[in-house]
This record gives sequence, structure tokens and C-alpha cells, in this order.
Amino acid sequence: MALLEVQKLTKRFGGLVANDHIDLQVNEAEIVGLIGPNGAGKTTLFNCIAGFYPPSGGTVRFKGEDITGLPANEVCLLGIARTFQLVRIFKDMTVMDNVMVGAFNRTNLAARAKKKTLEVLDFCGLSPKKSMLAGGLTIADKKRLEFAKALATEPSLLMLDEAMAGLNQTETGEAIELVKKVRQSGITVLLVEHVMEVVMPISNRVVVLDYGKKIAEDAPEKVIHNEEVIKAYLGDKYHASRRAH
Amino acid sequence: MYSAEIILQTIISGLLMGCIYALVAVGLCLIWGLMEIVNFAHGEMLMLGMFTAFWMFTLYHIDPIISLPLCMVILFFIGVATYFIVIKKILKAPFLAQILATFGLGIFLRYLAQFMWTPDYRMIKNPWLAGRIGFSGIFVGIPELTASIITILSFILLYWFINKTEIGTALLATSEDREAASLMGINSDKMFALGWGMGAACLGVAGALMSNFYYVFPEVGFPFALIAYVAVALGGFGSIPGSFIAGIIIGLVEFLSGLFIVPAFKYTFVFIIYLLVVFIRPQGLWGRY
Amino acid sequence: MGGNKNKWIWLAIGGILLLIFPFILTLPFPRHLMIMIFLYASLGLAWNMIGGYAGQISLGHAVYFGAGAYTSTILLMKLGVSPWAGMLVGGALSVGLAFIIGYPCFKLAGHYFAIATIAIGEIAQQWMLNWDWAGAAVGLTLPILPESLINLEFHTTKAPYYYIAFGIFVLTIWVTYWIDRSKPGYYFKAIKGDLEGARSLGIDVARYKFYALALSAFFTSICGSFYAQYILFIDPDSVFPLMLSIIVCLIATLGGVGTVWGPVIGAFILIPISEFTRIQFGGGGKGTDLIIYGFLIMVISIYQPFGVIGLSKLLRKKEST
Repeated sequence: MALLEVQKLTKRFGGLVANDHIDLQVNEAEIVGLIGPNGAGKTTLFNCIAGFYPPSGGTVRFKGEDITGLPANEVCLLGIARTFQLVRIFKDMTVMDNVMVGAFNRTNLAARAKKKTLEVLDFCGLSPKKSMLAGGLTIADKKRLEFAKALATEPSLLMLDEAMAGLNQTETGEAIELVKKVRQSGITVLLVEHVMEVVMPISNRVVVLDYGKKIAEDAPEKVIHNEEVIKAYLGDKYHASRRAH
Repeated sequence: MYSAEIILQTIISGLLMGCIYALVAVGLCLIWGLMEIVNFAHGEMLMLGMFTAFWMFTLYHIDPIISLPLCMVILFFIGVATYFIVIKKILKAPFLAQILATFGLGIFLRYLAQFMWTPDYRMIKNPWLAGRIGFSGIFVGIPELTASIITILSFILLYWFINKTEIGTALLATSEDREAASLMGINSDKMFALGWGMGAACLGVAGALMSNFYYVFPEVGFPFALIAYVAVALGGFGSIPGSFIAGIIIGLVEFLSGLFIVPAFKYTFVFIIYLLVVFIRPQGLWGRY
Repeated sequence: MGGNKNKWIWLAIGGILLLIFPFILTLPFPRHLMIMIFLYASLGLAWNMIGGYAGQISLGHAVYFGAGAYTSTILLMKLGVSPWAGMLVGGALSVGLAFIIGYPCFKLAGHYFAIATIAIGEIAQQWMLNWDWAGAAVGLTLPILPESLINLEFHTTKAPYYYIAFGIFVLTIWVTYWIDRSKPGYYFKAIKGDLEGARSLGIDVARYKFYALALSAFFTSICGSFYAQYILFIDPDSVFPLMLSIIVCLIATLGGVGTVWGPVIGAFILIPISEFTRIQFGGGGKGTDLIIYGFLIMVISIYQPFGVIGLSKLLRKKEST
């Protein structure tokens, strides 16, 4: 049984079809990449799965249970955590307190939450900065914090929305290592990414969206040679010029 | 139960008062729609408009109809001054600060007025606009009738300005997307100041008109401000025509519920409208979001 | 680090001083002043729970104060119920009110919520002014009962009132302290910090906003009941006015919202000033008070929204760099 099973998911905003009958499956201990040109509907899909708005059609099943349309906080309780592209950290709280909020997802006791928080901070390399105000962190550290918060909720599935955007070479390398560590600890990962150097090396499978539809799904090496995918990213003329050779 | 005449009278009175509510609401909507800051001092600025007209009359014997343009201009500058002294500094402040800044200003103005001019109720005696006209048993006060006509004209003028002039378009652009507008060379600072000025100017007009027939005292503005908040919510966030029409509707509801139900609870009904709107249709009748 | 230990020592010293205060200064006025300080500090702390921690700005908090005052008073006058029980019933009623007001209003984004609370505050005052059974505009004068703890009335000395007020004050501080360190407190702060972010971490936002308001309403209400027993007269203008809502908000903001000691500091600064200006300016002091309050609220919001505590943190940072 797949950990996450999305069937025929559709989301309409007025007349615009942002997600069109998308099928998606994520198995335990996988890292699945979700790519596609801007406006393809990747974040919308995330939001529908994570409960930020209900889909217009289709179903979402998690661990066999139907979670379609459940609100975001319930989805988190069931074991799906997500990060946001524009980080939603609590800037007037310390790094430690930020992660504590996440840790309270699984416990009512401050002591237990604190223990979990220190573990997560260590895992993510944020321990030295735990007393800093979140608002004063660098972009890379803010993203790390966003990551840590989600991790502290003890998810079974972690959904990352363009977590690597805006990072330099070194920072990206560190981020990739962190994602690998997460998978090693038993958490499944679904990530939306723009940066190809990130997605390809770590994903087991890559799903490609374009104009709201799924246009390809395969191992990374195969996806980059997929004609539809090339056409989606580079347009018809490039495709045509390639064929001409 | 009530005769048709009384009901009709109430409806007409409600519509006329509604026009005043409408203009006050439009002023609020301008500011709110432009920069998502709620002017919690809106009622007090209206009060200042009324007192300006009152003192012009009492000290210099200038009738409110003549002093109306002057009130408008004075309030315009008060609005602009408020922007530069208070608002500009809290544009990026935490939410609490934004609410409390104008709230504090309102309290400050209200009690300063009370200190300077005492809480006494004042009335302009014998303005030019006085008396009433009647037809088939219905009486309409001339000041109220003139006020409605002028508010409608002001609204049309405002609507034309915003939609058909270059500056107006710049205002609209800034309210929709501040950054995009500034990328196109529109100075948001000036636009915000203009918005505050115009919003306050509406209150200058409304205040001058009201001074013809309404008591003037430091706490007068508060109920009008409350109604304005409800009107903006009802009309739809960001929609100026929406706020105007909503103001008139509220005037109707207030007067009719005052007639059919206990007058003391008429604000309760206005508030119930508010709750209904926010729940059933949060974007209001004509709103953007 | 010696810092924490020092804090406890200072707290202990402060606590002891406050406890023996009535024996040092036996005149009624200083005791009255301290009672007012304790009362307003508790009110500020209560407002802080919803306004400072959870970030939901209530500008009509007087409604809970009045509910507490009227409930315990009416229960006493009509049914002879002890004010202590009346206090608890009033508290429960206020929590109910918080539910009715809060649940619909919490769906409203910030501004809309604030407006709703102003409107409710005004409407509540209007209703009470017209409700004859509850005294309407005339108000209710509490019956003079034999002096006793059960009756919560003391006529020969203010000292017992002092200790009860102190008890309420300590209780409210303790609850705030608990909130600051517990799951609800963290969740409140998260809601204030970023609503959608909070939701994505498993927080049921509506429920926790309600918890914050319920706590806040309960303690505000208790203060209202105490006030009724202390002053022995209540009317809509003394327990439901906008002015009260403003002061309560100002106290928390002046001292520092979202902190345990902010409202306490705010009350210790503001109440003495307010009591002294009342004496100086006599009857007209009412208006002058509010001019200053309004001005203060403006200045704080513009220049230092985090209040005195925020200011001291800033100064300490400057020192260390």
C-alpha cells in the first residue's frame, strides 16, 4: 500500500483549472520529486494534499485513510508536514521556540517537547543558534528553521515546497544532505523543486506537471530525455529544432 | 399598525441619513482599500469636520454651505498630516501597532476636543438651510435633503476622479499592487498621502453638511465610524461604490428597525448585519476579495 | 548563571514587601492605590492573554468586566448568593460570552475582529443602560452586609480588600506564567506570529483563539466581581465603558505585550499617574486622563510597540555591543 495516494485530483479557481485529474503515488521511504514550469500547479497540488484548501474533485488517501478536504491542522496530526516556499517562521520568537511549536504536535508536555526540539535542532545543525530571534537569521538558516519546524511535528511524510530556492552552492549541498538524512531516518519525502541539480540526484522518481496536468513520471535519468518534458520547459521550437538534427 | 405615511417617512429619513453614512463610509473605504490600514480615528475626524463648520459659523458667521469647501480643504490637510506624522511610521509595524496607532489618535482627538470645547451639545442656530418641505403628509428637512444631494454629487465627483483621471488611476494601481505601481514610477508615498487627504476630505464635506441639522459634540463621531466599518464590510472591501450603497442600506435598516423594534437597540441590528455579512459573504456585496 | 537565581530573590523580596505593605502604610489612600494597581494589573494581564499572546486585539474587553460585576451583584441581591460563588458564576458566564462572541468573530481577520469587539462593547453598554431589571442607568447599589470574608465586604479597614486583590493579582501572574511556558502559550504565540504557519504545524486555530479569549474573559470577570464588592456600586458607565477597554489595553501595551511582567509594569506606572491626575484636576480629570492615554497609545505604537520591556531589551542590547 502506498503511503500517499492521490487520485484524479482536480482544483479549479473560478474558470482556471490549476490541477487537472492528477494521479500521484508516494511509497514509504521514497524521495519523489515534483517538477514543472512556473504555473504548472505544483504548489496548488501541495496545498490540496496538505489541506489548505479542499480540492474541487478527486481523492487523497494517506496510510489508506481518505483525507480529502481535511483542514491543514488535522492533516498535520495525521502525519503530513509541509514547508512553505516563502517561509512562515515566527519571527518574533527564538529559533528554539519556533521548533517547540512543532514539537507540541505530538505531546502536551513542555518537557517532552523541549527534548524533541533539542534533537531536531541538532539534526538540522541549528543548535548553536537556538536562542537567536528567528527574524534575524540568514535566508539559509530561515529555510533550515522552516525545515526543522516541520520535522519536529514527527511526520511520516514531509512535503518540501521549493526549499532550495535562493541558496548558494554550499548551502544547497548542505540542504541535499539534510534531505538524505531525513529519508534515512525513515521519513518519506515529496519535494517540489525548480533547481534540477537538486531534484535529479536525490529522487527515486520524478513527476512532471505542466498546465495542471501530469505529463510524465519516471526515474530521473529517463525523465530528462522525455520529449513532453523537454517541450514543456523549452517550448515547441526547441523540440522541433532537436528533431531536425 | 403604522400608517403608510409613517413608514414612508421613516424610509425617506433613513435614505437621507444613509447618504451621510455613505459618504463617511466612502472616506473610510478609500483609506482601507488603499493601504489596508483601518482608520480607527475616522469618527473623530468627522467630529473635527463638524466642529470646523460650527466654529466658522459661531465665530465668523460663515454659513456651513459657504464653509463647506473650506472644511473639505482643512480636513484634507488633517488627513495628509495624519499620514505623515502617524501612518507612515507604522506601515511596516506589527499589526497591533497599526490598530492601536489610529485608535490612540481617535481617543486623543476626542478627549482633546472635550477638553477644549466641553462635552456640551452644540447646534448651529438658523443656518441658511432650514425648515422643511412637505408633500402629502411626508415632511423632509431641507438641510437633510440638501445634504443627500450634495453627498451624491460628491460621490459622483469622487468616482469620476478615481476612474477617469490619471491621478485616480495611479491611486487605483497603488491600491491593487503597491510594488508594481512603484515600478511604473508611481510614488506610493504621495499616493498614500493623497488617499488619506481625500478620505478625510469626505469627512469635511459630511461634517459641514451635518452641522446644519445635527448636534455637534466631541463624541458625535463614534456611532458614524462604527456604521462606516459595517458599511465598508457590507459593500465589499475596496469597492467605493459598494461602500456608498451599503451606507444607504444601513441608514434604511437603522431607521426601520428603530421604528418597528425598540429604538435603543437599533445599533444591535446594524451589528447583526455586520456579522451576517462577514459570515455569509465575507467579500461583501461588491468586494474585490 | 546567577541571573535566574537573582530573579527569584527579587521576586521574593518584592512579594514580602507587598505582603507587609498594609502594615507599613496604614492610611486608606495608599492601600486604595495598591488595590487599584493590583486590579488593573490583573486586568492588563488578562487582556494580555488574548491580545498580547494570541495577537487578537480586543477593544471591548469591558464587556467581561461588566458581566462579572453584574452577575455576582445580581446573584447577591436577588438570591443572597455569596460573592465568591457569584464570582465563579460570573466567570463561567463570561467564558460563555467569550464563546458566543469569539467563535463567530475569530473567523474574522484582525481588523474585522477589533471592530467587532468595539461594537459589542458599545452594544453591551447600551443594553445594560436599558435593562430595568438590572438597574438600567441608575445602576445597582450593593447591600451593606455585615463585615466578613464570606460576604466579601469590609467596612472598618481596607486591609482585607488589599489581600484579596493581591491574591487575584498573584493568581493572574501565575496563570500568565504558566501560559508563557506551556503548550497553549506556544500555540497562542504561533497564532500571533503566522496564522497559516501555525495551522500547518497542527494547531486548531479557532479552538486555541477561543481558549485564549476564555482565559482572558474569566479573569477579567473575576476582577469585575471584586470591583463590585469593593466599591459597592455599579452602573453601566462604571463597568462597561470604552474607557475601561482602552485602559486595559494600554496597560498591557505600555508595559510590553506578550510578556508576563509587561502588564504589571504598565499598571505600576499608569495607575499612580492616573490616580494623581484625578486628584490634581478634580472633576475635569476624566477628560485629561484620556487625552494622555490616547497620546501614549499612539506614541507607543509608533515608536516602541513592545513597550517598556521592549525598550529595556533594546537598551541592554546596545550596552552589550
